[in-house]
Amino acid sequence: MPRNRGAMTQVDAAGATSTGAAPEVPQVEVTLTVNDTEHHLRLDSRVTLLDALRDHLGLTGAKKGCDQGACGACTVMADGKRVVACLALAAQYEGRRITTIEGLAPNGELHPMQAAFARHDAFQCGYCTPGQIMSAVSLVAEGRAGSEEDIREFMSGNLCRCGAYPNIRAAIRDALAEG
Amino acid sequence: MTTLEAARAVGPGLDRVDAPMKVTGKAHYPNDFGYPGLVHAALVHSTVAAGRIRGIDTSAAETAPGVQAVITHLTAPRLEPGPMTLLGASPPTPFQDDRILHHGQHIAIVVASSPEQARHAASLVRVDYERSEPLLDVHDPRATVVENPWGLDSDRGDVDAGFAAADVVVGGTFTTPDNTNNPLGLMSTVASWNGDSLTVHDSTQWPHNVRATLAAVFKVPESGIRVLAPYVGGGFGAGLRVWPHVILTVLAARQVGKPVKLVLTRPEMFTSVGHRPDSVQQIRIGATRAGDLTAITHEGLSSVAMEDDDYEPVSLCSAVSYACPNVRTQDRQVRLNIPCPGSMRGPAEGQGNFALESALDELAHELGMDPVELRLRNYCEEHPLLGLPWSSKALRDCYLQGAERFGWSRRDPRPGSMRDGRWLVGYGMAGVSYPHYQVPCQARASLHRDGSADVRSAATDIGTGTYTIMTQLSAEQLGLDVSRVHFDLGDSDMPYAPQAGGSGLTSALGNAVGAACRNLIREFLDVVKDDADSPLRGAAPDEVSVSGGRIHRTGAPDQGESYTDILTRHGLEELSADGRSTPPQPDGGGMATAGAFGAKFVEVRVDPDLGLLRVARVVSAIDGGRILNEKTATSQIVGGTVGGIGQAMFEETATDPGTGRIANATFGDYLVAVNADVPDMEVIFVGGPDRATPIGTKGVGEVGLVGVAAAVANAVHHATGRRIRSLPITIDQLL
Ligand code: FES
Ligand code: FES
Repeated sequence: MPRNRGAMTQVDAAGATSTGAAPEVPQVEVTLTVNDTEHHLRLDSRVTLLDALRDHLGLTGAKKGCDQGACGACTVMADGKRVVACLALAAQYEGRRITTIEGLAPNGELHPMQAAFARHDAFQCGYCTPGQIMSAVSLVAEGRAGSEEDIREFMSGNLCRCGAYPNIRAAIRDALAEG
Repeated sequence: MTTLEAARAVGPGLDRVDAPMKVTGKAHYPNDFGYPGLVHAALVHSTVAAGRIRGIDTSAAETAPGVQAVITHLTAPRLEPGPMTLLGASPPTPFQDDRILHHGQHIAIVVASSPEQARHAASLVRVDYERSEPLLDVHDPRATVVENPWGLDSDRGDVDAGFAAADVVVGGTFTTPDNTNNPLGLMSTVASWNGDSLTVHDSTQWPHNVRATLAAVFKVPESGIRVLAPYVGGGFGAGLRVWPHVILTVLAARQVGKPVKLVLTRPEMFTSVGHRPDSVQQIRIGATRAGDLTAITHEGLSSVAMEDDDYEPVSLCSAVSYACPNVRTQDRQVRLNIPCPGSMRGPAEGQGNFALESALDELAHELGMDPVELRLRNYCEEHPLLGLPWSSKALRDCYLQGAERFGWSRRDPRPGSMRDGRWLVGYGMAGVSYPHYQVPCQARASLHRDGSADVRSAATDIGTGTYTIMTQLSAEQLGLDVSRVHFDLGDSDMPYAPQAGGSGLTSALGNAVGAACRNLIREFLDVVKDDADSPLRGAAPDEVSVSGGRIHRTGAPDQGESYTDILTRHGLEELSADGRSTPPQPDGGGMATAGAFGAKFVEVRVDPDLGLLRVARVVSAIDGGRILNEKTATSQIVGGTVGGIGQAMFEETATDPGTGRIANATFGDYLVAVNADVPDMEVIFVGGPDRATPIGTKGVGEVGLVGVAAAVANAVHHATGRRIRSLPITIDQLL
């Protein structure tokens, strides 16, 4: 398996953004519960849930593809429902249970949906993949993956510019069949 | 040559070796990297398309919270131009003068402690422009036209005589719009200087090009620069060049003395990293009643930026695809005040094939001949310009097997004759002859005492499957299980690799990896050449085979030993070897090096009342030479087809004709194919190993896209009787 370059530091979990802000930028105290862990953060009030996860908590699995709510790459779950984290302000998610791709399966195992994506080659560059998987898992949980038509429609908020759509559907069908 | 017995490593659909990283969110793309003390950049863009910056007021931005620097052309140091590359000149170095050449041009970069602060401060920069009237239309008579930009115009036979001899002549004007690559990954650069040495994480398809360019622009040695791109969020050509924002991020990092991250916004992705340029094409085809082509003329006109280059020989496909004695192809480029175009998946071919294969469909219709039959009748067994047999060409099998799988024989040729309820049904097809492209590449292979291998090269895997197929190929070449091979890429400190582009990387890299592995086996044989304890003593490379982690004499599996035994007995931790590949000469060995070939078969449904168009089925039959991994190769073809569906039906970058502003620079407005637009598809691979190189592969990254637009348009004609000559095919064209 390819390794990430060891020499590089991951995104600084402390976050460069919590320092240096002048007083006129309102700061907010936020407690976020992400993947069953509580984090206390002091954030620029403009920080989105996506940036809080990526830049402040070092959870870079959720991706930024548009920052405009139009691609689904940033999809995470809040209380089991999918949200596009780029359109959510972090401060509004206090007290909600956030799940990201990193929290989908514990202890280095793969969630059945993750395994199905791997088996079906349901990605190429992989950039949309965390969002696709979070959407797919929510879709199944919401009971909206009943038909092929439903899968096609309800997965259409997650763009895949590499064009893995047929394989994404196959992966979801397969994960469903596995129960 | 060493005999390979572990052939199972190659071919079958091994899951991607990087799949676990990608499905768990652990794969780190350039914008996932950070450093302690990282600061963030945002860009300011021109809001006019032509003119000069008369004044630029950065005072409010400079005093905004968190701001550490604001750099403009007034404060930027003089920087050198980037080098000439295999793909032509580098884009112009930014911030070197006050001229505005296109709307959206970067004119300032702001660095602040947080991305929010940087974006806010960028909005405070005030610019006073001296405007000139921009040139924005390819038909503008004032615009400079570059004739025969690449010296590829062709003229064979006598086209006038060919048309005079024709019983039927078809053709017309075909147009394709600007399309924007829009990889999902926002292109990003993280730059960190340490004295004169520099580390850059970049969304590039070519780390060595980034290194060479930054070294030239900043006048620092290449050896001090490391460019990393282990994962890239797609590219489709957008990551081939070192665009101005990369240079600006590196400049900003040097200026503030801290690591800087720049993540382009989605709107910036439309103006900063190239696009497929629009084309206006005139094509004419003449043929006899019997369906023999007598003449083709194809003229292409594309837009290009004022002071940059783009390789887009749109008409060339008509010179090399069919056996026709009289063919003239001509390309021109028009210089406009637009962001520079660049390669986008299937550059030139994607546009040119639409005109050529649509016109052939028209001809088949006029002749009352089956479109597949027409193509078979004019099949070229030899490269039409070189007069040499192809190094491989299974296009005939593409047509025949594709037609068979699709059920083409069920097609009633009369337009509008096939229905499914209220839907009109159309069958359409197109042929594809993709050009060959390959450039030099290097790789290094090491075998460790524990019997595992490391193989590496500074290539990228932009979703193409390179990690996986090179792991498989290395395993095959060394006779190891794939689990014992670690293939690594995406680091300019590794041996030189060319760009992931032009469908050329798999062959270039595969042959370099193959050479490195063969040289490594030679190293092992060298170690034991006088070793009385070795059953391989004195064996030559062509006398041995590899399998199961062992080298043995060919035909005598018990006369051999494992890599581990050799290393252990000789007190070695590992052995390494380098390998390189050079492209085959175009006419080397009396053959014309072939790219991939393909045939696309498409079924569409058209709602005649609402103008709705749906692609219901696609069969792609592809000759990609030797296929290293059926699963990832199939994904390449499927993904290309999805890109082709986007080109056919949705994608159009709309530039405001007055201001030069791109009016739809978001994913909400620039439509790409979504899940519901894409049917399940069938892909079949035909043909076998290509003869031009030892590894026998041909690239399959782009051939999947080409031909889709024509096949869809031809299917629309079959369904409705309407010939669509302008992409994308929208509802208004079908009502
Ligand atoms: S990044 Fe959130 S929807 Fe695109
Ligand atoms: S895998 Fe690249 S965008 Fe989906």
